[in-house]
Amino acid sequence: MEFLGNIGLGFSVALSLTNIFYCFLGALLGTLVGVIPGLGVLAAISMLFPLTFHLEPTTALIMLAGIWYGTTYGGSTASILLNLPGTPANAVTCLDGYPMAKQGRGGVALFMTTVASFFGASFGIILLTLFTPVIAEYALRFGSAEYFALMLMGLVAASTISEGSAIKGLAMVVLGIIIGLVGMDTQSATIRFSFGVLGLLEGVSLIALAMGIFGVAEIIMSVRRVKTADIDPETLKLSAIKPTRDDVRRSWFPMLRGASMGSFFGTLPGTGPSIAAFLSYAVEKRISKTPERFGKGAIEGIMAPEAANNAADQTAFIPTLSLGVPGSATMALMLGVLMIHGVAPGPNLISSQPELFWGLIMSFWVGNVILLLLNIPLIGVWVRMLTIPYHILFPSVLMFICIGAYTSGFSTLNIWMVTAFGTLGYLMRIFRFPGAPLLLGFVLGPLMEEHFRRAMVLSRGDFMTFFDRPISATIMALTGLVLIWSIWSSETVRKRRAPPEGEVALARDATDA
Amino acid sequence: MYRFDYTDLVGGMLLFFVGAGVSLVSIGNYPLGTLPRMGPGMFPAILGVVLAALGVSLALQALRRTGSRPDIRFFSPLFVLGGVTAFALTIVPFGLIPAIVAIVVISSLAELRIRPVSLVLLCLALCLMAPLVFVVGLGLPIPLIRWPF
Repeated sequence: MEFLGNIGLGFSVALSLTNIFYCFLGALLGTLVGVIPGLGVLAAISMLFPLTFHLEPTTALIMLAGIWYGTTYGGSTASILLNLPGTPANAVTCLDGYPMAKQGRGGVALFMTTVASFFGASFGIILLTLFTPVIAEYALRFGSAEYFALMLMGLVAASTISEGSAIKGLAMVVLGIIIGLVGMDTQSATIRFSFGVLGLLEGVSLIALAMGIFGVAEIIMSVRRVKTADIDPETLKLSAIKPTRDDVRRSWFPMLRGASMGSFFGTLPGTGPSIAAFLSYAVEKRISKTPERFGKGAIEGIMAPEAANNAADQTAFIPTLSLGVPGSATMALMLGVLMIHGVAPGPNLISSQPELFWGLIMSFWVGNVILLLLNIPLIGVWVRMLTIPYHILFPSVLMFICIGAYTSGFSTLNIWMVTAFGTLGYLMRIFRFPGAPLLLGFVLGPLMEEHFRRAMVLSRGDFMTFFDRPISATIMALTGLVLIWSIWSSETVRKRRAPPEGEVALARDATDA
Repeated sequence: MYRFDYTDLVGGMLLFFVGAGVSLVSIGNYPLGTLPRMGPGMFPAILGVVLAALGVSLALQALRRTGSRPDIRFFSPLFVLGGVTAFALTIVPFGLIPAIVAIVVISSLAELRIRPVSLVLLCLALCLMAPLVFVVGLGLPIPLIRWPF
């Protein structure tokens, strides 16, 4: 009965007029950001975050979460019509979606991916509702040693599993933690690394960091490279979106398998929507009786990944909300937003802020229904967004970034920080250092230091405390395995360089989600 | 193609210098404390060493393989970052509208071609939209135009 009461509480929060409005706004903006290539979800969330300053934390989070899952819905549009993934999580959808569009079945593909997205998201939300409270209750007995071990595992997994060099990922995590330490040390009131700048006492602004590294740097890389789209208006006629009976029959099991795999990989640190989508495509191709149809417009090839990435979008909230340990950069940003609004994340969140927790989760239903309604009739409108020329888009985005940075605190220091992190982000692109681990380290850094120090105090300086306690020892062992595996696999990758064409582009930027 | 992967070589060396710098600053300026009672310098000092070590191993790996030319551009970062800087310099003394014009005009130069008509229209549209969203809609106290002299 308590469970039903919680669900009821959640719906009463999520269905208030204000929250429905901001949920709608978030989903709408998310779809927009997802459709337009060259504008990432991290940049979008940090850019729009200043708009939520004056809102209740619950409402703010509902809107920002709407942006997050909205992008995945919208991202498939660019994948299908342009062969250009709107977000990394939609990259696999290009493989069969674009051939479908070329065969004049683009409308069908857009319609069916929306259905798959909704199916995957629903699957994810149900798991999220069932498991988050259970995990949080279990986590209540965790001490500082366990938390430090969990965060360490999250950071190591997030920086090594997904793509590129493990060393670069780890280095960026460490750099992120160091940037996170700037400012006043909470335990000794010592001011660290502020170089005499008074405004840095409170630390580096999360928003300026995310906007610089993911917004400004992305723009620098995209100027004069992003070409405006050329779309065949014939594919967009509404009559062309009706799937055949064969399409529907072929879609059921791929959707179910995709949603299950997506839910699983969404909860793990380091994997996320991109990897879930990629693996579920591989599975469908392997178990299919007609694998030769894949890559030529097989409907299974778009249904499974789109169900997987949307399920993963939702289940990514499980570790973030139950443990306070985010598994990806976007979740780290959500956690940072919570903390800026003065809400302490962790296993106590559900019991101390039931309105926030249940309201947020139930708002996912509202948001996904809104997205379903937005996407199907408005496909034509979204596609028109693709034709906005980049030379109009990027100065507008820069302007929003600057105003957002300035209004979060009304100090020009935040704009200077955007310039500094834009420069850093551009340098990182040149040296091919990934940005997502840096953001993750930045958010988790201060928490890690706190737990590390506390664990050391409790054990009187004995490092073995991390290995004596059974839960923390297990997590540390897993972390070790991930490290060994990543070093081993990077060695084997180097031995057989030159992966098959097409997969290079997919693997690139896979962590950006 | 180069004989070594110079991109990673330089990147690794930069990481090493940053890490070493962080450690030296922490050890020199902040109390380290002991392990049971860690001071504010201990954690960053450890992290600096880890970063430096990662930098060295990246640089060593780079010596074992060939590399391609890094993708370095000059004008895009110059104008984009220049636009943001111009906004930071103008927003307080001159107000919102001049700052918007400054960032839009300067960052548009990153395209390396000027479209006068579309640029003027874009400036007009954004100068109308931004005050509507931020000043009227959200009620943020930003002066639209100011003359400091």
